[in-house]
This record gives sequence, C-alpha cells and structure tokens, in this order.
Amino acid sequence: MRVIPVYRPRPSALHAARAGAAAGLCAALALAGALFEHPLITAAVIVAAYAAGAAAQVGREMSRVALLALPLAALVAVINPLVYSEGETLLVRGGEFLGRRWDVTLEAVAAGGLAGLRVAAVVMALGLLSAAVDPDALLRLFRRVSYRSALSAALAVRLVPVLARDAGRMGEAARCRAEAPERLLVARAALSGALDRAVDVAAALEVRGYATATPPPRARRLWSRHDLAVGAAALAVAAGAIAARAVGVGSVEAYPTLELALGPAELLLACGLVVAATAPLAGRSARLGVARA
Amino acid sequence: MPEPLACAERFSFRYAEAAEPSLREVDLSLEPGSFTVLAGVSGSGKSTLLRALCGLVPHFHGGEASGVLEVAGMSVRDHGPAELSRLCGVVMQDPERQVVLGGVRAEISLPLEHRGESPGAVARAVEEVALALGVERLLDRRTDTLSGGELQRVALAAALVHRPALLLLDEPASQLDPVAGDELVWLLRRLNEDWGTAVVIAEHRTERCLAAADRVIALEDGAVACDGPPQRFLSWAAESAEALATPLARLFELSGLRPPPVSVKHAREALRGGDLSPGGPRPQPPRLARRRPRGGPPPALALRDVWLELEDGPAVLRGIDLRLDPGERVALMGRNGAGKSTLLRMAKGLVEPSRGRIERAGDVALLLQTPGDYLVHERAREEAGERGLELAGLAHRAEANPRDLSGGERQRLALEVALGGGGHSAVLLDEPTRGMDRPHKDALAARVRALAGAGAAVAVATHDTEFAATFADRVVLLGQGEVIADGSPEEVLGGGWHFSTEVARATDGAALLAGEGAALLRAELVR
Repeated sequence: MRVIPVYRPRPSALHAARAGAAAGLCAALALAGALFEHPLITAAVIVAAYAAGAAAQVGREMSRVALLALPLAALVAVINPLVYSEGETLLVRGGEFLGRRWDVTLEAVAAGGLAGLRVAAVVMALGLLSAAVDPDALLRLFRRVSYRSALSAALAVRLVPVLARDAGRMGEAARCRAEAPERLLVARAALSGALDRAVDVAAALEVRGYATATPPPRARRLWSRHDLAVGAAALAVAAGAIAARAVGVGSVEAYPTLELALGPAELLLACGLVVAATAPLAGRSARLGVARA
Repeated sequence: MPEPLACAERFSFRYAEAAEPSLREVDLSLEPGSFTVLAGVSGSGKSTLLRALCGLVPHFHGGEASGVLEVAGMSVRDHGPAELSRLCGVVMQDPERQVVLGGVRAEISLPLEHRGESPGAVARAVEEVALALGVERLLDRRTDTLSGGELQRVALAAALVHRPALLLLDEPASQLDPVAGDELVWLLRRLNEDWGTAVVIAEHRTERCLAAADRVIALEDGAVACDGPPQRFLSWAAESAEALATPLARLFELSGLRPPPVSVKHAREALRGGDLSPGGPRPQPPRLARRRPRGGPPPALALRDVWLELEDGPAVLRGIDLRLDPGERVALMGRNGAGKSTLLRMAKGLVEPSRGRIERAGDVALLLQTPGDYLVHERAREEAGERGLELAGLAHRAEANPRDLSGGERQRLALEVALGGGGHSAVLLDEPTRGMDRPHKDALAARVRALAGAGAAVAVATHDTEFAATFADRVVLLGQGEVIADGSPEEVLGGGWHFSTEVARATDGAALLAGEGAALLRAELVR
C-alpha cells in the first residue's frame, strides 16, 4: 500500500486546473494549517483537504495520507508532554533524571495534541498536492527560474518510487536465496543499484541535449473556468487565514493554563475554509466536458 | 553518392579502466536513409559503437579514443552528446532506465524544451510524433503505469520528436515480448521508409530485423568483421561466426541450400521454388490442459485452481491448474502481463494466492528477472562459494566484484546463488535470456537440462521461442492469467502465429529448430 500518494490524472476540476492554481490551493491549506493552533481551525483544514480530495476523486489516496498523518500527529502529541513540563495542572509526577524533573501536565498534553493536529493538517494539505497536482506541470513552472534545479527535482520525483521498487525487488531476491544476506548488505547493494540507475538516467539526459539546455520561453495559456475557480479558492483560503491570524482570530494559550478563543469568528473561519476549498470542486460548475447539444 | 551521415576511419576506443580496447580501428560509412543492423556476440563492441555515434563515448563514459568518427561532419571527439543530439536520437535497451519524467507528454516534450522551442512548436511536434508512433492515447498517462512495450514506444517518440537524421537503438526489443518486439521493428522500418530516418540497431536476434535492413555490420572483439548486405552477412556468418547466423540461415546451411534467406518469406519462396516442402506431420492444435495418469510419483510442484485477484484491479491469475513433475522442463510463455512472473513468484511463495492451493514437494528455487538483485557482496566468491563459481564457470573471476561481471556472467552467478547448493524439487527461472547471445543461451539450456536430469522440475518463463524449443519438453502458454495452451513444443510452437519459431514458420510447423528442419529437408532432397 502506498502511503504517499502518486499523481494520477482524474476527471476532476482540481486536476483540470493549471498546476499553479491547484498547487496554490494546496499550499494555502497548508499555510492555514501552519498558521493556527486552534483545534477547530486545524480540524477544518483537515476536513477541507480531505473533502477537496474526495471531490477530486482522490478520496482513497487521502485516506492513506490520513494513515500517515495520524501516527505523526500522535508522535508529536506524545513527545510534547515529555519535553515540556510547564502548566499548572499536574497529571503525573515524574522523578529526577538527566538533571531535570519529568512531570507531565494537562496543559503540555493538550498543547501536544494541538501541535499534532497542526502537523496532521499540513500533511493532509501536502498529500492533496501530491495526489492531485501534476508534478511535471508544477516543475515546469519553476524551469524558467532555475531550469536545472527544476529538472533535478523532477528526476527525484520520478526516481523515488522507482528506487523504492528496486529496493522491494532486492528484498524479494534476498528471500529467494538459501541464506538471507544481512540487511546492511542488501541496503548497500540497493544504493549501488541506485547509483547505476542515476548514471543511466544522466546518459539519457545527455543524449537529449541537457548540457546545452536553455530555459524554455514563457508559455501563454488562457485561464479556463477551473483555473479561475481553483485560483480564486486558493486566494480566498490564503487571504482569509492570513487576515484572521493578523486580527487575532483563533488565539490559543497553552501555558500556564489552556485558553482557547471560541466564538463566532473562529466558527466562521473554520466554515469559510471548508467552503472556500471545496466550492470550486463541487456542484455543476465543477463538472468537466461540454453541454449536450 | 550522397555525403555519408556518419563515417569512421580507424576509430578505436578503450574505456578508462579497461585493459583492452572496446573498439579497434573501426572503418565505416553510414548513408542517409540507410537501415543498418549491428551484429555481434556480447562484449563485441556494439553498444560502445552506438555510444560513440551519439557522443556518449568518449565524453560521458571517458576513455582513450583515436582515429576519426564524424557524424554529419562533426567529430565525436570535439562535439559532445548535447551537440550531437540535434542529429541523433537514441533508444537504449531498458526503457525504464531512460525515461526521465513522470508524464508521457512531458517526457516526449523534454528534448524540444531543452532546445528552447516555443510551446506551440513543442505541442505540434509531440502531437505529430505521437500520432506517427501510435502513442497518442498514452499522452496523458503516467510513465510508471505503462507496459514495457508502451514505455519503449514512448522512449522512441522522445528520441524522434526533434526529427533526427540518425536513430540509434541498442537492443530495443530485448525486454519485449515477441508481439511488441515485432511491432517495434515494423515501426522502425516505416520510419526509415516514410521519413528517411537512418536507423542503426544493435540486436542479438538479428532475424527480427534483417528483412528491414539494407546492411549488417558484424563486430568481433571491437573490430568490423563483416560489412555488407544481409545476405552477404548470413553467408559470412555461416562460414565464420555460426553464433550470429539466424535459425533460417542455419537451416539452409545444414541442408546445403544457397543462398541463405534473410526472412521467412524468402525461405518459403526458396523452398517452394526448389519443390521442397518438409514432409513432417502438421502440428496438432495444443490441448488446453494435460491429462495426467492416475497414480505415479507425486508432483514436484502443483498449483490447484489458483487465483490472484487484486484489491483494486483485475484478476492477475484465474483458476490456474498446473502440475510439474520431477525432471520436467517447461517453458512458460505468453505476452507481457499474461501472468508468467506472478505465477512463478507465487510458486516460490513470494505472493499468496487469493484462492486455490499450491503443493511443493520440497524447496523451490527462483531466479527473478534481474540477476543483479541477487548480488550483494563485494566479491563473486562470497556470493556462491567455490562450488557455485565452478558450476557457473566463473572460477577464474572469484575475486571480481559481481557488478563488474558481464550480463551473461552475472546471470550464471545469480542462478547459482538462487540454487544455493541444490536439492530443490523445482527450479523456476524468470526471463533468464534477456539480452543474452546464442552461446550463452546454449550454455543455459545445458544447465537447465542438467538440473532436470538431477530430478528437479524446471520451469522457465521466456519470450524466446527458439530457446524454448531448445530446452523444453513442454510448453505452457498463458493469456490473461489463464492457461490457454499446454503441450509439447511441437504442438504449441509449431503452428503458432507469434509464439512460433522462425524455422516452424518457414516449414509450416514441420520442424522447430534448424537441425531437425535440415534433416527433413535433406530427406526431401534425397527423395
């Protein structure tokens, strides 16, 4: 099972939108997730990313991303109370170890949970980017800025699953031997194989004129309705999140006691994020194709 | 006479760390619009010559070059692959290793984008080359979802999108099934005829492309040993390099017939013209499943109503019933994606069936498609021990790094690693002849016979019909995850369309291999 989703073309408005707009929406969601600690808002970002994915026909991939996000969030939630012992409500009185006290407080547990949720929100937004935005088209955007870096990134994107497949094959071959070799030996051989593969790809690039490559000229492409709708949604999500943060919506104070602002502004922002992120992907306007004659 | 597209005068090249040169004083001249086949056994210098023609040698690989090699007047010693790429398109052996980007459209566009072409020009060129090569339906696919044949066509499209005058291909069909391999050669012929693209193709199985070629250059130890039209090459091969002769040329040579035919059509015409129709029995249609007598020894390996149904895809194997007896030599055939590799992996226990059961009389050895995956140590001796090296014929390379061995040597070593000292009830080999020349295939066939002689059931998944006819006493044909034919090589390969040997096609299935076909023809001649 692939936890990190791989882009596949699907008949959806998000896939049909230009890479810049679609990536913009995902980046805006990630930004919203990163800006706020408030659980209602980070949960809204998670819901928005999942709902946008479902509307873009990558719901299954987003479920797998959630499987990746959950343990990451749990890890952050567990580590935080072990590292921070601020807070007034003591839950567990730990002993002295390595020159410090290891107390666990309710506030540190809560702050860990909030930070975990924040991580999950960012992971979900990036998962949506990985599942629904064509990496080749996205990297083409950057080629005018730095052609070789963009191409290297494109290669890395392509080679990561290929190398993972190589490593899987080597693992199978190890199982076919009378005596399984040490893992370190297999890992070293897999690394050598990766280098061989990299040399082959470099040769393929050379014979396609890489050494004399020039940045491609600017491409002018008219904005489709999906480009406009998804781009507008990205702007709305980003602008809404930044403005709300600037005026102090969704403020959270974890220490010394947990204080959460929970009013109409937070509710409005949470609902607004979900609606703005999913609106261009749902309903009649999101349908692809042309009207019947 | 038109100006030559490429010409070499006493061109030699030695790789940086090699003791011997890979190319020795090569003289050649390639005309525009010509179709040239490069023949030669493994290590004869075919790939190096192709890499020299596109500038990878000496600029990318490094080494010592002498003499002259020019492409359209540009010396490859002074001009690198990027400059020569305007004139040359290159397709390598393994399509997976030359695809750079994730999307097909982006992949085909890349050479033009490197040249800074306008988006409109790129879009038009991609559309045209896709239509010309029949890959237009793949344009919006991801490269990691394509079959080997599709990927090779995409690589060909990327090599041709800028309309090069010279197309260089290094064993492009070695990873493909017979259907995809034949399609590729026909496509090259069309490109050559319709667009005038000069084609240079290195190929072990020259019979695939001789009919399309104007000329064959045979290399021996890096030197040109024969340079002439296909018929002259075949006559030369019959006398001086039997390993390079096609099956039909060997058939004619052994029968005392002249001249050697360059294609099945020519062979049939020659036989018909000489009133020679081998009088063997016509092959019977193969049975769907073999009936086994009740009782007898238990099977070495048996698959009973085995299914593999993917969670989010079609069934890969559908109700496979297959029994392999001790000492049996079975060729498992079928086009790419028919389920051969999955069946072997399941027989070994790497994949669990979703339904059905598998019975194994003992240990099962499996050699997967990529022999390099088995080789994890720094020295060959550490991989297979002294005994294994002896069996692989590699005792003299005991201290060599397995990655420095040739393809054939690596294959033999990996087989001994997989066998791990022996004692297996079944030995399974997945596509072991990819990119192998005939002497190595003959050696592998002998090893298969030895393993079967020692009591193991041996099953080999292969696309190589000649190899199957050489080693197998039974051929199982898979299609869409089902057994669609199961019988003797004569039954299955004698009357097939694609899954048939060249000799069988020329003799209407009366014989599969040159030796037995020649015996029939000699009998006809006496009569």
